Amino acid sequence: MLKLHNLSKYYRTDEVETVALDNVNIEIESGEFVAIMGPSGCGKSTLLNIVGMLDSPSDGDYIFMGENVAGYPESKLSNIRKQNIGFIFQSFNLIDELTVEENIELALLYHNIPASERRERVAKVMDKVGIAHRAKHMPSQLSGGQQQRVAVARAVVGDQAMILADEPTGNLDSAHGQEVMEMLQSLNAEGTTIVMVTHSPAHADYARRTINLFDGHVVTEDLRAAV
Amino acid sequence: MLKNYIIIALRNILKNRLYAFINIVGLAIGLTVYVFGSVLVDYEQNHDQNFANTDRIYTVNSLFSPAANIGIKRADTTYAAFGEFLKTGMPDLEAMARIKRQEFLVTIGDDDYYQEIRFTDPDFTRIFDLDYVAGDSSALNGPSSVILTRSAAEKFFGGVDAVGQTVLLDHQHSFTVAAVVEDLPANTHFNSSILGEEDLAVLAPLSALKKLIDYDPAADWGNISLGNRMYLLAQPDHDVAELETGLAATYEQHFLEDQKEFIIGVVLEPLSQANTAFWEAIGMPVIDSISILALLVLVVACVNYTNLATAQNMGRAREVGLRRTLGAGRQQLLIQFLTESLIVVVISLLIALVLLELIVPFFNQGLGKVVTLDHLATLPWLALTTLAVGLISGGYPAYLITRTTPIDSLKDGNGGGARTSLVRATMIGLQFVIAIFMLATVMVMYFQNQKVKQTIDLFPTDQILVLERLDVDEIAQQTETLRNELVRLPNVENVSFMSQVPFEQSNSSFEANVNPGDDATGFTMNRIRVDYEFLSTLDVALIAGRNFSRDIAFDSPAEGVQQANIIVNELAVEKLGFETPEVALGQSFYETDDDGSFQFTIVGVVENQNFLGFHNKLKPFTFLVRSGQYYGAVRFKPVDVQQTVQDIEAVWDRIIPNYPMQSQFLNETFEGVYTIYRSINIALAGFAALALSLALIGLFGLAAFMAERRTKEIGIRRIMGASVRQVVRLLIWQFSKPVLWALLIALPLAYFSMNLYLDFFSDRIGLPIGIIAIAGMIGVVAAWGIVAMHAASVARANPINALRYE
Repeated sequence: MLKLHNLSKYYRTDEVETVALDNVNIEIESGEFVAIMGPSGCGKSTLLNIVGMLDSPSDGDYIFMGENVAGYPESKLSNIRKQNIGFIFQSFNLIDELTVEENIELALLYHNIPASERRERVAKVMDKVGIAHRAKHMPSQLSGGQQQRVAVARAVVGDQAMILADEPTGNLDSAHGQEVMEMLQSLNAEGTTIVMVTHSPAHADYARRTINLFDGHVVTEDLRAAV
Repeated sequence: MLKNYIIIALRNILKNRLYAFINIVGLAIGLTVYVFGSVLVDYEQNHDQNFANTDRIYTVNSLFSPAANIGIKRADTTYAAFGEFLKTGMPDLEAMARIKRQEFLVTIGDDDYYQEIRFTDPDFTRIFDLDYVAGDSSALNGPSSVILTRSAAEKFFGGVDAVGQTVLLDHQHSFTVAAVVEDLPANTHFNSSILGEEDLAVLAPLSALKKLIDYDPAADWGNISLGNRMYLLAQPDHDVAELETGLAATYEQHFLEDQKEFIIGVVLEPLSQANTAFWEAIGMPVIDSISILALLVLVVACVNYTNLATAQNMGRAREVGLRRTLGAGRQQLLIQFLTESLIVVVISLLIALVLLELIVPFFNQGLGKVVTLDHLATLPWLALTTLAVGLISGGYPAYLITRTTPIDSLKDGNGGGARTSLVRATMIGLQFVIAIFMLATVMVMYFQNQKVKQTIDLFPTDQILVLERLDVDEIAQQTETLRNELVRLPNVENVSFMSQVPFEQSNSSFEANVNPGDDATGFTMNRIRVDYEFLSTLDVALIAGRNFSRDIAFDSPAEGVQQANIIVNELAVEKLGFETPEVALGQSFYETDDDGSFQFTIVGVVENQNFLGFHNKLKPFTFLVRSGQYYGAVRFKPVDVQQTVQDIEAVWDRIIPNYPMQSQFLNETFEGVYTIYRSINIALAGFAALALSLALIGLFGLAAFMAERRTKEIGIRRIMGASVRQVVRLLIWQFSKPVLWALLIALPLAYFSMNLYLDFFSDRIGLPIGIIAIAGMIGVVAAWGIVAMHAASVARANPINALRYE
């Protein structure tokens, strides 16, 4: 699916150069479920943003589906991103002014899909994550778990091959957190590649592999048998 | 508490510098325009306050019949003869004085000056208390005495010590300076900058005109010339209604019956109205328009403030919630927010006052006015304006922010809901209605002005030098010699003498009848006295018949013969009831007066040409060869113009050494009138530009603010795959809706009002749909451009940064 080769990311201010990622080498196969762990500030989110093509590396190669996208311009990245990658955030990031339905549809809006097909796919995915009865509600009328389910629905409605989840359970209580994790697991079972940043070892256990980051380095990679 | 409010307000201004800047600049511009407009209107409407009797001085105004077809609705004067009856008919009348302005060649020693002299009744000095440097108010009692103003005395005699000196008019009439008075101030109608009359310089007895030009005011039932006013001084304890009744009764009893159809009434106007009477006469509400436009610009500025403040206050929901939790009542919060808006308005007003101090001197200098800024006198009004602007523009945002409950306020509000955005959209819409309407108006006026300007092409305007004042006996006797000598100049093609030149706003007319003495078939025709070269000099095309010829006796009949050949235009043919110009040839019509009927036989028909141009309707014109011409038109080849004019002047000086040549190019005659149209257009363009820029500044601020508020949403959309262009389009659309609604209102409004305006002109441009549509498009594209400026930078930002704010 993707391969990071000697990838580094620095942030420069006037005087200080901060190294966020230092010579990272990671390979993720298609259909994998990978958790990324590490203390705050170790570079997890930076790594996820680069994998998600929201940020570009300072150095090194990023091979995505056989293509080195490291030096690609934003417009090109945006295109690859919307075809292949779905996002789930800790703070859900739903648009307050749009209904559940419209929030999910947003992910299809920029894909040149006819309206009738969009409606169909949104209905289907709402069923799948169990939010169909809330279709016309505004995000502010939903619980956190429900909001995150909407976010998951939005991430997969475009049939993206890979989902990047940045602490998807961080703002949820344990019951809702587990619910979301199970949803991700079943998506993975259907063949979606999932890369998830998390602080929770329990939730990391859902993944087949855990990558531990510290100060921008990959420290260990733990493989575990499928659950 | 108040101190706390003020500190918070000032800190907020400093914190949100961009928005504060936009608010203050917008309001400062709006206030500058509004205060300036008000001061100007006040200035124009309050002239002549310096006279002791101002409150009891009136002028007599004539109301024209709508059928008179002379392009104006009223005149600020009436027939001089009518004045003779007023004293007996109006018991409250203390004095009456008429003015007749007449230009003469004034000779002092070896120096000649063309000078307009105001001939007036002796009571003039009783009505107006002039400030005498020498002499006294009895100065006009002598038959040949004159009063000079200080500047006239300095011009003629090099100083004010002029009493007893002689001035010679037209080389033959001696007058003696009996008094010298101080110049009248610029804010009197005598020296008005909008009336286009010459400043008052020389006063002479009206009775002297009998000797000078054989003019008898008591017999003048024929001339109405704007600015030749008739002043009345009423008793100190007079009753205006009684005065009006007396005037109306005198009109009924003594006004010449024949003229009552033409002048359907006479009315009193207080002296203070004399300055603005010109606008009323031509029927253009210029003064009212200035008031309205100035107010509209202020409204646009206020709406700007309201909109931006509403949006901005949303971001302060937390502060409000905290204050309420700490025990602040709703009223206290209202006061706090209103204090803030008042502070902004006060800062804006101070800037506006500084701007005014800078602008007014330039304005006075450029337009010959003496507008003064008396802030102390206008302080109550300024304070009231400030308070009103502060409360009106700050009221809504303050109401909105304090309406929510403390709990709601503490939770991060998300923009205030649908109703707020509807109000906001409505206000943006309102601004653009005003701005687009003004823009459309300016553009339609501009294109109509261009159309008016095309009338200049009817005549060979840039090849004609107009010689003036040919009615002076000594010059009139030399016109044939002058013509013969002028046509010998290599560059002079033709010379013609006439009573009226194109574009001169004068209606010399007579009542024509199809049958002799038959008033029932009568209608008014304009008459111009011309000569044999008139048609060829001015390129007036014959479409039937022939030109005048020196060989045909009735083309120029002798004195006493009651018959003459005449050339008419197509419209006159139509009015006379003839089917075609050819049919009209050889036919006759009549003019009947006390001496019997005069028969005119049509020998030629010319194209309809709007001789008066500008807004005047096409009129039936007649041309006949008769003496009494005021002008000479010298047509020259358009090469080496300066030399040609010098040659013409040399010939003139040789033949008529006693009178310096007075001339102007025909296109200068045109420009003289056209200036008014152009100035109105430029002034309106200024207002429109301000309104549009204010609306755009407001939109810029609001777009910046909304883009900032929508940062998160934009980030999400970008991550979902929206391109920069798609995000920009989204943001633009948010602001497009109100602007498009504004179009729906402004365009029809502009269309209907401009159709009314265009009907004022005889030769008008077609339905101005295209022009108005372009104005709308300019408004929309400008709005898009402004919003896009922001939207692009917001949309281009890395989406992940946007989400990090959360």
